[in-house]
Amino acid sequence: MEIKDLKALVKIITDTDITEFEMENAEEKIVIKRGPDKEYIHLAAPTNIMSSTPQAPAVATAPAAAPVAAPVAADDNYETIISPMVGTFYRKPSPEADYFASVGDVVEAGQTVCLVEAMKMFNEIEAEFKCKIIEIIKDDAAPIEFGEPLFKVERL
Amino acid sequence: MTSPTPREIILDLFSQAPDSFLSGGRLSTELGVSRTAVWKHISSLREAGYEIEAVPSRGYRLLQSPDTLRPEAIQAGLNCSRVASQVRCFDQTDSTNLQACRLGDAGEAEGLVVVADQQSAGKGRMGRQWISPPGVNLYASILLRPSIPPFDAPQLTFLSAVAVCRAIRHCTDLQATVKWPNDILLNGAKVAGLLNEMSSETDRVNYVVLGVGVNLNMTADLFPADLRYPATSLVLELGKPVSRLAFTRELLRQVDTLYQDFLANGHEPVMAAWSELCDLTGKSVSVDCNSQIIQGTMVGLNEDGALLVRTAAGKIENIYAGDVRPV
Repeated sequence: MEIKDLKALVKIITDTDITEFEMENAEEKIVIKRGPDKEYIHLAAPTNIMSSTPQAPAVATAPAAAPVAAPVAADDNYETIISPMVGTFYRKPSPEADYFASVGDVVEAGQTVCLVEAMKMFNEIEAEFKCKIIEIIKDDAAPIEFGEPLFKVERL
Repeated sequence: MTSPTPREIILDLFSQAPDSFLSGGRLSTELGVSRTAVWKHISSLREAGYEIEAVPSRGYRLLQSPDTLRPEAIQAGLNCSRVASQVRCFDQTDSTNLQACRLGDAGEAEGLVVVADQQSAGKGRMGRQWISPPGVNLYASILLRPSIPPFDAPQLTFLSAVAVCRAIRHCTDLQATVKWPNDILLNGAKVAGLLNEMSSETDRVNYVVLGVGVNLNMTADLFPADLRYPATSLVLELGKPVSRLAFTRELLRQVDTLYQDFLANGHEPVMAAWSELCDLTGKSVSVDCNSQIIQGTMVGLNEDGALLVRTAAGKIENIYAGDVRPV
């Protein structure tokens, strides 16, 4: 979207009572949020071409939408973090808390990326090496099997 | 293992000869210090709440121990082979599980027990709070380092559940039961909560922390009004308080015995013991699995310890995480 079009869009929205606006098409995704004392605009390209976009501070990370046809063929360089046990996958320590890790995040070796619970035994799964989260394969609170991939990551 | 402190040695000697006098001379030999130093240690024990009688020419006699949880009192004469090799007691901490995990990360040895009189951030499942007032209950976490793969570690959930249930039955005549996977119930109300955490690599366990919270002498006014599940305590069920120290010691002995059995014989004996303590088998249950609620009849456990529920459609569901309620 051209800047002038974006400006026009922002103007149209700010003239209304709309507080949140989201638009997505094949090339880009636009999120505009208006709060009581601040306004911010987040503009993100779809994940598969994001590498060329300078990464803005994660103000409003795109929700983990249905996996958009990812460039599978070119993925051979990626590695996975797998589940060491059968159980339930949690992306955050409690329902109100923030996610341990989101797509695009760079995590250090030893940093917790998720929890797996089986029978009230909570296992903090850590990244074994510094990496960037490319894809989160499972939904929050999804049941998972032993050895199932949880994250697709790029070793850094 | 660290060497025992003079206070631990004195209490250990008292526990070996209950109700009898220990002469100042004997204590000074055992401790390798002067009689004046012995007297100082006795004074510090008195300050900590121990009632110690001193009779000239006979020596010292322990009349009563305080119901405070101190390492030397918990460990004296406990005779565990692995559990309670070290005990750390906090007057207050955020959460004994957090403390034990930190100590586990720092490389502390298997068997470490962390006990707190009070927790400011007692943890339940899913970030819920475990109400932890001072002076009345037991909040403890046990650090274990079993050489097992991570997928076998959830079996230890059943181990601590059986241990708590047995400790209650041993210290009182109350018929505590278990609810999958590790709630402990008295007359249908929750008396203990257990939460376990593990640090592992793909193929091996670094450590497991077994977190145990038992409502011992907590009175009705200390329970919040908005509990998710009906709760009770031993004092409410018994009508009289229980010794926190005696309960803690019994619990640690039970965990030690079961853990030895687990290491030697695998998880079948623990699962069998758990099944015997469960009275919901064959009953109707509703299981809240976060994303869905499964209703049906509890069939039992599968070999992993997952809960088996037969739904109305006749399908058997294997449940690995969820909140069970009888219906």
